[in-house]
Order: sequence, then C-alpha cells, then structure tokens
Amino acid sequence: MSTVEKDPTRAGRRRAGPGAADRGTHVRSALRRDVLFAVAALAIAIIVILPGRNGEGTSISTMQLVASMAAMTVAAVGLNLLVGYTKLVSLGQGGFYAIGAYGSAYLALDKGWHPVLAILGALALCGIVGAVTAMASMRLRGPQFSVITLVMAVLVERILNEGNAFGRLAGYPNFAQHGTTVTEPITFLGTTFTPPMIAGEVATVMVPIVVITALVVILSRNIARSPWGASLSAIGESEMLASHLGVHVFRRKVAVFVLASVLGGLGGVMATQAFSHLQPETFDIFLTITIVLAVVFGGSGTVLGPVVGAVAIVWLEQSDILVEASQWQQDTISESWFLSTSGLVGVLFLLTLFLMPRGIVGTAGAVVAARLHRRDAAEADGAGGLDETSEELVEDLTHVVHEKPAPGSLLTLTDMGKRFGGLQAVAGLDLSVDRGQIHAVIGPNGAGKSTLANLVTGVYKPSSGQVTFAGNDLTGQAPHSVSRAGIARTFQTPQLFHDATVRDNVLAGFADTGRTPLWAAALKPPSRYRRDAEMRVESDRLLALVGLEDVPDVRASELPYGKQRALEIARALAGGPELIVLDEPAAGLLATETSGLGDLLMSLRDQGYALVVVEHHMDLVSRIADQVTCMDQGRLLARGTPQEVLSDERVIAAYLGKPLDEHGHAVETDDGTTTTPAGPGSTSPSPSLSNGGDPS
Amino acid sequence: MEAVVIGLVLGGLYALLAQSFVLTFITTRTLNFAVGEFVALGAFAAIAVSSWSWLPTPGKVAVGFLAAAVVGALVYRFLVLPFTTQGEHDVRWLLSTVAVSFVMLNLITNVEGPSPQRSDTARISGTVDILGAGVGKQQLVLAGLAVVISLLLIVVTQRTSVGLMMRAVSQDPDTASLMGVSPRAVGAASYFVAMGLAGLAGVLYAATVGASPVMGETLLVASIAVAIVGGLGSLWGPLLGGALYGVLSQVASYQWGAIWGETAGLLLVIVVLVAKPEGLLGRRMEVKL
Repeated sequence: MSTVEKDPTRAGRRRAGPGAADRGTHVRSALRRDVLFAVAALAIAIIVILPGRNGEGTSISTMQLVASMAAMTVAAVGLNLLVGYTKLVSLGQGGFYAIGAYGSAYLALDKGWHPVLAILGALALCGIVGAVTAMASMRLRGPQFSVITLVMAVLVERILNEGNAFGRLAGYPNFAQHGTTVTEPITFLGTTFTPPMIAGEVATVMVPIVVITALVVILSRNIARSPWGASLSAIGESEMLASHLGVHVFRRKVAVFVLASVLGGLGGVMATQAFSHLQPETFDIFLTITIVLAVVFGGSGTVLGPVVGAVAIVWLEQSDILVEASQWQQDTISESWFLSTSGLVGVLFLLTLFLMPRGIVGTAGAVVAARLHRRDAAEADGAGGLDETSEELVEDLTHVVHEKPAPGSLLTLTDMGKRFGGLQAVAGLDLSVDRGQIHAVIGPNGAGKSTLANLVTGVYKPSSGQVTFAGNDLTGQAPHSVSRAGIARTFQTPQLFHDATVRDNVLAGFADTGRTPLWAAALKPPSRYRRDAEMRVESDRLLALVGLEDVPDVRASELPYGKQRALEIARALAGGPELIVLDEPAAGLLATETSGLGDLLMSLRDQGYALVVVEHHMDLVSRIADQVTCMDQGRLLARGTPQEVLSDERVIAAYLGKPLDEHGHAVETDDGTTTTPAGPGSTSPSPSLSNGGDPS
Repeated sequence: MEAVVIGLVLGGLYALLAQSFVLTFITTRTLNFAVGEFVALGAFAAIAVSSWSWLPTPGKVAVGFLAAAVVGALVYRFLVLPFTTQGEHDVRWLLSTVAVSFVMLNLITNVEGPSPQRSDTARISGTVDILGAGVGKQQLVLAGLAVVISLLLIVVTQRTSVGLMMRAVSQDPDTASLMGVSPRAVGAASYFVAMGLAGLAGVLYAATVGASPVMGETLLVASIAVAIVGGLGSLWGPLLGGALYGVLSQVASYQWGAIWGETAGLLLVIVVLVAKPEGLLGRRMEVKL
C-alpha cells in the first residue's frame, strides 16, 4: 500500500498516467489467483474419480458417493448465493433439486425429448418456477420468505408423491409404466455416459459430473467476488442501502433466486444421471434442510463453505458413523430413547449454530484473518481519518472532470411537498443547487431536513412538486435510478457493510455494483480484470483522500465513528456522482475531524461537485456553505449566505424558541419564504448560533 | 355446500395451530417450525396417561397441553432465544427450530414407532348434520375450540395487563424491558401457551385419526399457510385465514381431486403474499431511515 501524500513525485506521476503500473500488477495477481484456483478445482475433480477409471466393481460405491457429493455441492453453492450473500433463507432448494431430477427424467422418458434437451428443459423449468416464486416473495424478508419457499418445496414433494405420472411410491421410472426401473444413459456426440452401477463398466458419466461441479464452483467464486456479488451482500445488509448504491433490488433478487434455482435443479439432474432411478421420498423436507445445513455447516457466505459442507454432510450421512452412533445410544442409554440419522443431523445442526455459526470455512477464515490483521486493527484507532484528509488528491479523481460546468442549476426542487398521514413533513419547498456549490440545509429537529434528503434521493415519493437533476425529471424515481443519475448520499448514522473490509466498502460504491451483468461477473472477461484493477487503484486513492489509506483491510465495524463517516464519504465518491447529499456529516465528529471534513467538502466543491449538506453544526455551515436554507416545520424559513441566515431573527427564534413580545404572543415576522434581506445583524452573526455547535 | 361446511370445520383445526404461530410471532418475532412435533407430543403424552383411571378426561387433556407447553417454553429459552440476538434480520432461530423438529420427530418415532396408535382420550363419536353435510362431532369441537381460544386470546391481549405487556414487548422489546417488562419472560410464556395449544390440538385430533409421529407434519404447512394468509401479526387472522384456506382447499379437492386441494390452498398463500405481504389482517410496518 503506497502512502501517496508522503511521496510527491509519485503523486505527480500518477496525475500524468493514473496508476497504470499498479493496475498492471493488480491484473496479473488477480489472474494468477484465478488460474490457480481453477486448475486446483479441476485437478481435485479429476483426482476424486480416478478410483473408478477401470470400472472395477469395488469402485462403484465410491463413485456413487462422489456423485452424491457433487450433486449436493452444486445445489449448496446455488443456495449459498441466497442464504450466504443475500441473506435470504430459502427452504425451497430441495424442491428445485426435485424438479431438476424428475423434470429431466420425465421429459426424456415420457415426452421423448433428446436427453440433453430434456436436461436443459428441466433447468429452464427450475428457472421459471424460481422466477415465479421469487416475484411472489420479493417483498418479504425473514420468516415469511422462508415460509413461501418451504411451501413451494412441499408442493413439489406432494406432486411427486401423489402424481400418477411420476409413479408415486413405485418411483420413477417403474416397471408398471415404463417396463424398466432405470433411465437410459445419455448418448451425446458419440459418447455414452454410463452411470456407476454395473461392475466392469467404466462410469463415464462421472467425468461431466465432476467437471461441471468444478466449473460451477469456479464460476460461483467469480460471481461472489465480482461487483455483482457485492450487490448481493449489499442487499443482504440493507435493501435501502443497496438501492442507494444503484442496485435495482427487485431485479437483482429475482436474478439471484433464479440462478440459485437453476443450480438446485442442476444438482437434481446430476442425481438422475448418476443413479438412474428416482424415489419421491428422497426428495422430502429432509433433503431441503440438508442442503441448508450443508451451507451453514461449511460456512455460509464463503466460496468454499458450501463445497466443504456438502462433502462433509453427504459423507456423514452415507458413512457408518451415524448408524454406529445410534447403535451406541441403544446399547448404552436406552432401547427406545435414542436418535437415528435424521435426529443426529438435527443435533449436528444445533451444535453448528451454537459452536460454529460461521461454519468450518468461515471459522477457519476468521482465525487466519485475525492473525493477519491484528496489527491493522490496532491502527484503526490511531491517527488518520477526517482530520488527515488530503485535498490535493481530490483533483486526481478521474471521473469528475467537470471542466465546463453547464450553465443553470444542477438540482432543482420545485414546490416539494411530502405528507405522512396527517403530518405535512415538507411543504412547498423550492431549492436549487449549482455545480461547484455547497448548499447547507439547517433547521431545528423535526424541521423536515432529513425528509428533504430522502425526497431528493428517492427514498420517499413526493406528495407534490418536482425534482429536476441535470435536465432530467427525477420526480418519484426509485433510489437506484436517482443514484445512477448521479446523486450519491451519506446517512445520518453511517450505513456500512460492517463485516466487510474498508476497501470492500469503497469498492461497493462503484457504479459497477448495480450495472455489472451476471455473465460478465461469472465468466470474468479481460475487461472485467482491467476494470477491477482500475477500481482497486481508484479505491486506494479515495481512501487516501479521506485519510483511511493505512487501514484498507480492517473491518468497517472496527473503525471509530469518525472514520466510519469518512469511509461513507469515500464510498459515495466512488460512484462518480455529480451531487452528494450528506445527512449530518459532522454529527459525532471530534473538532479536528469536523475541520478536516470542512476542508474535504470545500475541495470537493472546488472540483465541481455539488453538495447538499444537512447539518446542525453552525461553525461548519458558516465556514463552508455558499448558500444556506433554514427550514422550520417543513417550510422554508430563510435562505441566503450563512451570515444572512444565521443572523436572521426568525432562524434564531426557531432554534432557541420564539421570543415573546410584551403581549405574550410569539413574535411573527413576514411570511419568510423568500431570501432574507440582510438584516441589521448580518455583519456579525448571532454568537449563539455561529458558535453554538449542535443544538439538538 | 358440503365442501364448504367441511372446509370450515377443517379450517378450524388449522386455525388452532395457526394461532400458536401468531402468538409466538407477535411477542418474539419467531415461528416454531417444530409445531407439528408438539402436536404429536401432546397426543402421545395423553396416550401415556390414558390408563390412569383416577385421572378424569379433562386432566388427561391437560397433561397433553402441559407436556407440550413445558417443552415449548424450554425450547424457547435454550434453542430459540440464543438465536435471536443479532437484530431483526437474524433468522438463525428458523434453522434451530427446524433442527428441533428433526430431533423431536426422530425421537418420537424411535420411542413410539411409526404406525398410528389409537387414542380414546376426549373422544366424542358420532356426526352432526349441518346443511346436509355430516360433520364429526370431534371436528366440530376442534373448530369451536379454535374460535373460543381465539376470542379468549383477543380479550386477554386487549383487556388485561398481561396483554398490555405482550403488546409492549411486541412493539418494542428494548423499551418494554426498560419499563420493567421482561421480553424473555413474555416470550417464554407465549411459547408455553402456544405449544400447549398445539399439544391440545394434538390430543383432540389424535382421537379421530390416531396418534402418530408424523401426524403434525401434515398439519404444519397448512397451518403456517393459514397464519400467513390471515396475517402473522393478528389474532383474528387465523380465523379468517383458516376459513378461507379450509373452504378453498376442500372445494378444489371436491372439484378436481385431492392433489388440487392442497395446491389451491398454497396458491392462495402466494396470491395473498403478493397482494398484501403482511397478510389480510396484518398491519404494515414502515421502515424509517
């Protein structure tokens, strides 16, 4: 990590060709890691099927075990995208597994499709069912979401158990309906893919099974580490935050659900190909829960977690350990009061939740990370942050070349109104902000300042009025559209990804989080490598800008409060906005940090950013603001330069309580909706407000 | 018409179990996915004491209620509460209750065997003719009980200080605990009552179909569906949801066959969730930034 401001020559070179050398290094090291991972994954996949290369009878059970593990791995990897990253606990993965298994067999056998087409058809069916389930459940979170996915899985199970076309308890295929109990092996491109069943026959189907499993793991790793994956984590953390980062939450959630469903179905397809016969009772609730357990046990939200979990669970279920454990209980405890397989799996599940909530991989990763970053965590409390912002870096921001600020204001609010039930939170407010201007919004608590910020950024739809930004009408647009249009924001309490590192928090701020297509995330074309490196260099620069360059690998939650605010600003800048809405950026900052914040905001203004700052801190406001709007009870109270507004008697009255006249009535001034004329006190602002700090 | 009447009666059974989901949800924001096993637990507890001739029938029913209630409160304290500590997005309790369901189902199966056992406790034989449909008296009792218990719960929550505590904990557990109301105690109490109700339903239901380890599992999905349709936050919800779900699934299965009955009911859940995610009688909660 280069400390840029200590090396002026380096900083100068950067300005000429920004970080070209760094980018090359990042691309090469990322490529090396990815190739290494892919080679390792494929190598392991091939090694595990070597025992079956001669088709010896003794290897059949091993090959069947490997096939079960592969099928479970693929389904668990898919589920991990939902449970681990998006934090949507789906109990429906077993249903998709069943649809994949039965669908591919049924389309081939009963409908006479070519087996490969049948597989694709079954996967498409999974995708369609997944999309419908997703759209039905997208407004739900937590238990309701889990219930609807469970309902889906139960429905599938009932149909398989009771639908005559699927042979019910006789299984599929069965003698009565098909004259055979096994499906035909697939012949494709002159090769027959034989399942591991008959001694002396090489189980050729194992090759595609393990190779596809390895590919799924590799691609899911790419996805998890891409901006697309970051958007899933963002949704998992907070949907509102994700949409502020430019993510179309609804579409992204449907997309990830469909992806998870198709992978679940693919697991089922593998099971059909490996075992050639299906029994409905193996696709019950127990299956769906076992897949969840595989994810949680291995480590949800990690790349290798679902792989480790799936292999471990399948091995445990098929080995003799559980049988022996249950026999041991019968011998030593009681003939009837004992637990067998499903009960022991339940106990294992409970133990995992108690002892190892992050799973095998998650726990191991945390131990390693703790070793590596102990030093960084100590540094997090040290110097740096907003009191050491470096303004000279601002001009390095490659994306903010507002060389010729267009004439006219950037953001215009016309007659904005927002009503919550009987409460008129904002009424008839006009506001305009130009490029290169800091517009401060002040007012007592409950004045409607935060509501205003939420109206601009699309959290609330205005009850009346219009929002125009850079010539476009943004009225009533969703937060992700507002974000994409070029408005970023920070929040009253910092909304960060607490478990992610400082750098990852900034990386999530780039527009790529909302815009990277899934195929690019999965396949990782060269442009993706270049863009990743670019973002990495850019994020280093943004971190230096806000004084966090020494702690890029510290978890965001370990930062002190002031630095969390700095980080939030860096993330807002990453999206390349033209306007930033800052909701009380100085709240909770130390005096030195507030001053650093002021320097930073002013240098951003000089670079052409427009800033809307909702703030209580009058020192800061009077130092940085070009224009101040004071609101009271949802209405405009005063507007003008900081000196004008802070000395306005109505403003003072609103903050400190209204002075009473000799008749005991509150002093009323004029309507107060236009620019305040310079009053008598305009040259010397009221001491109570300009020095008063935060009145709340 | 017959389908409607039977559907309503069947809906009563689902409503009784749905009430136990609603009860735990409004106080603890959790659902016990092992409710089905508590149904079986209640039924088998009553069978275990059925030979005690000194105990009158209401006592045996009470044993079924208490067995499930006590285990329910313990499950809450040791296996639900520890997994609700990480804020509203924390759904580890969901996985732990599913695990509890596995363990209990497995244990009951190993102890009692998989085949249904006859249960005579609180059996009322005979049928009543309602609008041309023959309805078992036992089922009628279950449906009536669902209505009575729902009304009782509504009165308790709205008119008594216990109910005030429940509502306080439901709205804001932190503030409630500052006011001297223990959210844990309220949570444990509601699990006690809710699982007790499941056990009670188990005793009465076993008298018609016999007690078996999986007897509750088939009711689980239907009763969750009923609770969701009615709204997890509303004690009136299960009655409305149970009636809708019961009638719809019965009519559909009369018309098109058994498999469509359940499908129609579950599709109802999806339709309701899409149109009104908080359920028909639930209230929407605004998220504030």
